[in-house]
Amino acid sequence: MPSPFLTPGESALADNVALLHLRRDDSMPTVLRAFDDKNEGYKEGKVSNTRFGSFPHSTLIGQKWGSQIAASKVDTGSRGRKPTKRKAEELDASTGADDDSASTKTPVAASSGFLHLMYPTPESWTLSLPHRTQVVYTPDYSYILHRLRARPGSTVIEAGAGSGSFTHASVRAVFNGYPGEEPATKKQRYEFHEQRAGRVREEITEHGLDGLVEVTHRDVYEDGFLLGDPQTGRSPKASAIFLDLPAPWLALKHLVRHPASGGESPLDPNSTAYICTFSPCLEQAEKTIRMMRKLSWLNISMVEVQHNRIEVKRERIGLDCDGIRGATVFPKTVDEAATKLREDDARAKRFRLGRSADEEASANENEASSVKEPAGPLYSVGRLVHRSENELKTHTSYLVFAILPRDWTEEDEQRCRQKYPSDKADNNDRIPAGKSRKQMKREFKELRLKEAADEKAKAQQPAEETSEA
Amino acid sequence: MHSFIPPNQFVAIKLPSDQTRIVKLVPDSLVQLGKYGSFPANQIIGRPFYFTFEIQDTAEKDGYKLRVVSATELHAETLIEEAEADGEGEDQPEGSGIPMRTNRQIVDDASTQTLTLQEIEELKKEAGGAGKEIIAKILESHTALDQKTAFSLAKYTLRKRQKYLKRFTVVPLDVSTLANFMLAEKDATRTMELRDEHIGLLGCFGNVHYGGDSHNEESTPDGLPTTKPNGRYYVVDETGGLVVAAMAERMGILYPRDEDEDEDDGKEEEEATDSNEQNPTGEDNNAEAQGATSTSKRKRPQAMSASGNTITVVHASSQPNLSLLKYFGYDINTPDENHPLHTHLKTVTWLQMIDPAVDPILSNRPAEIPPAELAALKGSKRSAYHFKRNRWERIKKVVEEARAGSFDGLVVATLLEPASVLKNLVPLLSGSASVAVYSPTVESLVVLMDKYSTTRRTAFINNKRDLEAQSTSGQNDIDLSSLYEEFELDPTLLLPPTLHRSRVRAWQVLPGRTHPLMTGRGGAEGYLFHGVRVIPTTANVQAAGTFRKKRKLEQQTSTPTPTTDQDVEMAS
Repeated sequence: MPSPFLTPGESALADNVALLHLRRDDSMPTVLRAFDDKNEGYKEGKVSNTRFGSFPHSTLIGQKWGSQIAASKVDTGSRGRKPTKRKAEELDASTGADDDSASTKTPVAASSGFLHLMYPTPESWTLSLPHRTQVVYTPDYSYILHRLRARPGSTVIEAGAGSGSFTHASVRAVFNGYPGEEPATKKQRYEFHEQRAGRVREEITEHGLDGLVEVTHRDVYEDGFLLGDPQTGRSPKASAIFLDLPAPWLALKHLVRHPASGGESPLDPNSTAYICTFSPCLEQAEKTIRMMRKLSWLNISMVEVQHNRIEVKRERIGLDCDGIRGATVFPKTVDEAATKLREDDARAKRFRLGRSADEEASANENEASSVKEPAGPLYSVGRLVHRSENELKTHTSYLVFAILPRDWTEEDEQRCRQKYPSDKADNNDRIPAGKSRKQMKREFKELRLKEAADEKAKAQQPAEETSEA
Repeated sequence: MHSFIPPNQFVAIKLPSDQTRIVKLVPDSLVQLGKYGSFPANQIIGRPFYFTFEIQDTAEKDGYKLRVVSATELHAETLIEEAEADGEGEDQPEGSGIPMRTNRQIVDDASTQTLTLQEIEELKKEAGGAGKEIIAKILESHTALDQKTAFSLAKYTLRKRQKYLKRFTVVPLDVSTLANFMLAEKDATRTMELRDEHIGLLGCFGNVHYGGDSHNEESTPDGLPTTKPNGRYYVVDETGGLVVAAMAERMGILYPRDEDEDEDDGKEEEEATDSNEQNPTGEDNNAEAQGATSTSKRKRPQAMSASGNTITVVHASSQPNLSLLKYFGYDINTPDENHPLHTHLKTVTWLQMIDPAVDPILSNRPAEIPPAELAALKGSKRSAYHFKRNRWERIKKVVEEARAGSFDGLVVATLLEPASVLKNLVPLLSGSASVAVYSPTVESLVVLMDKYSTTRRTAFINNKRDLEAQSTSGQNDIDLSSLYEEFELDPTLLLPPTLHRSRVRAWQVLPGRTHPLMTGRGGAEGYLFHGVRVIPTTANVQAAGTFRKKRKLEQQTSTPTPTTDQDVEMAS
């Protein structure tokens, strides 16, 4: 089954995992089912209950992704009384299947409430996922995957962390076809925690990522990264490694070109290995880097990603904002302040002079009309401002990046020297050699174009050419 | 991909001064590194990436004059320091023993350096450049050296090393390297000061990934409603092609198809390309012209022909500026037909998107010439005819596809007003598709955020309902033009608009001296807008939730007046 994470198609199908988007930062993952898989006893089949109403899955399946779906009237009350055991047995025995079909009621639209049906992306999944351990958030993993050069066709090792946000993001990054379809690449994931490994495995199946992710329950400090048996197993041939472990330096000894144990290296022998470790504490990062230096990793660098979300508001200040929500009633300018002071003073004077009540009222009216003038529709009133959102993640983790070049033997070197003789270097013919051939081609083409196509065709070419040079 | 240094491709060379050079490695040529010397390209082609080479003065018998600097040597300084730090820790319990060395007594003027500049120059000439000796000599003669603290010593040697060592590291030229190169060495504004973290975020928030290569699916009969092809993205790119390259990298279509890792295969490949290049004057050249006549030996991939996993660039000039793609072996003017971008990169102008009827190319449909007449034509005329005809058909197909929409994402880094881009492209996205907009400065995105603000959306919905209510009695087609006059774009099509800022801060990690780098690059901060396309229902849906009561009350009080107004209007 294609995964909605990777190839969602046009509309939501039964058994797809979907995100019910309720509002900003509030969405609910669910697996769409045409039947009541958890036997919760709703008349409408499987129902997702949200703060904005109840949504029978029959109203979701078959809808286009991204659709706004209205809530339905669902009787959530009487269902609470679970049928007694005897009754349930009876039901099962007597009606069974046809009871199912007969009782699935066509849902009735409720008067209010809606949600949006979205296909999951690693980003939305990260925001909605059931928190198990520390989550690697989008700003971090997007940067990490970019630096790790995780591209379609690579193999990624991920060790540690149970939340699964990085897993989904990295599967998307390396995805280049489903297994059995094309050269599918795998992503390896190691989990120390057995229970978590089980849960992750379930999740992978639910999300249609079987065959793309291989989950292994393992203590990687001790047993390393080979698939299957820790000693004699197959190498995952990874080119990118992400360690979200409490002590990444202990796992590094397995990530070498020639392991001391004499076994196979888990790294891809034909490519550079890129590594990133994710540690919240500086001491962890320091220890990791020391170990990396000892193990001949290169280009070691440590960074932290500082990210914040920005909210945009309209700031409304002015004496005319009375009654507008979120606005501050305060003079906008010095002039406005002065006017107000003058008016206040005038009113005070009138009061002292003891004017009659109706006169006062008429004066007030005048005042009001002088201040208030319609400033256009509400949404475009006020000054646009931006600021950080209230909750700030000031530190996620220290990211340590490093690179391990591929192995290079004397033999390889000799072969290379034979193929590309070291002393052959034509100084004069240097870069123009490559260019001139191109130039020739291009000139020829231009000639062709000139005699063939009309002037409009590709007159810009020479211009482009010069700009490039 | 990128497992060894390939011939005839661009690579980045990092110099000791932290500069980067981009060099095309043509076999049998000489690579010049300015004051660091030069070396024959042959001596690094085929070797692994990320090796640091040192240019030696005395060549080996076969002329090889490079030396691979081992990782241990590169890390030597810190490894020693770390070992020392370990020792110190054991020897001296805290607070006792020798007081910490400080830089109080150090006088930093020219007198502490006993070698004169002339002497150094001579040394350089003598020793040629096996820089280490020079550094050692200079360090020896530096009288104040033993007074220096470990920290300043490290700095000092580092500085000296950078000055004299003839070392360089060969790095694959990928999107990240190129982005940093453009930032540091070129005019950063050309790429809109796009940094690594932005590229990563842009791709992730745009949900750009490989979407299945349905390259050969296009032959399905038209009648059959085939499933929607996956992985089609709109890209609006004013960074000279960097964003296109980054997205192509994520989709696996950026790098030329693998010349295989195996040496033997490599040879064959080389021969093949050689033979191709030897007849650039033959028929081979008018590739586009011959595409349809099928006289060519093998089936040529038609430009922009892929149906899935494609990038559609919408550009403002008549030609897109994608000049940076040349570093990845794809020159938009003389495209390499074997490059994946040849089939997977499509370009459309804004005019073709919005008003194809007046587009100079599309509106000029070349007249069809019957085959018999065609055969009688002169060769050049015939190929010209095919060229024009194919181009027209190709562009028509691409424009029709782009206008039909149902795309899977929109990635924008543009000088245009973002709202105008989203106004035109967001309606063409399929539901749940992601939109990511990068801007070096926040202002344009703040305006964009406001265009999708909740109050604006509510006003839009209410106004739209009013218009619909007014017209239910009459025509079916509701005239919404007044609505779009008031609202530049439909704010109900995107949820939930969010604005992000991200910056990576680099640290120095050395024993006892770990801290963030003291200086960094300023300039544009870089902001990202993200939203997801949604499909609002046509039915009126009332929001539920905490604020429901309030609104109901409001409506109760406010609705009577408009309804009576309407009644009056309708009656009159």
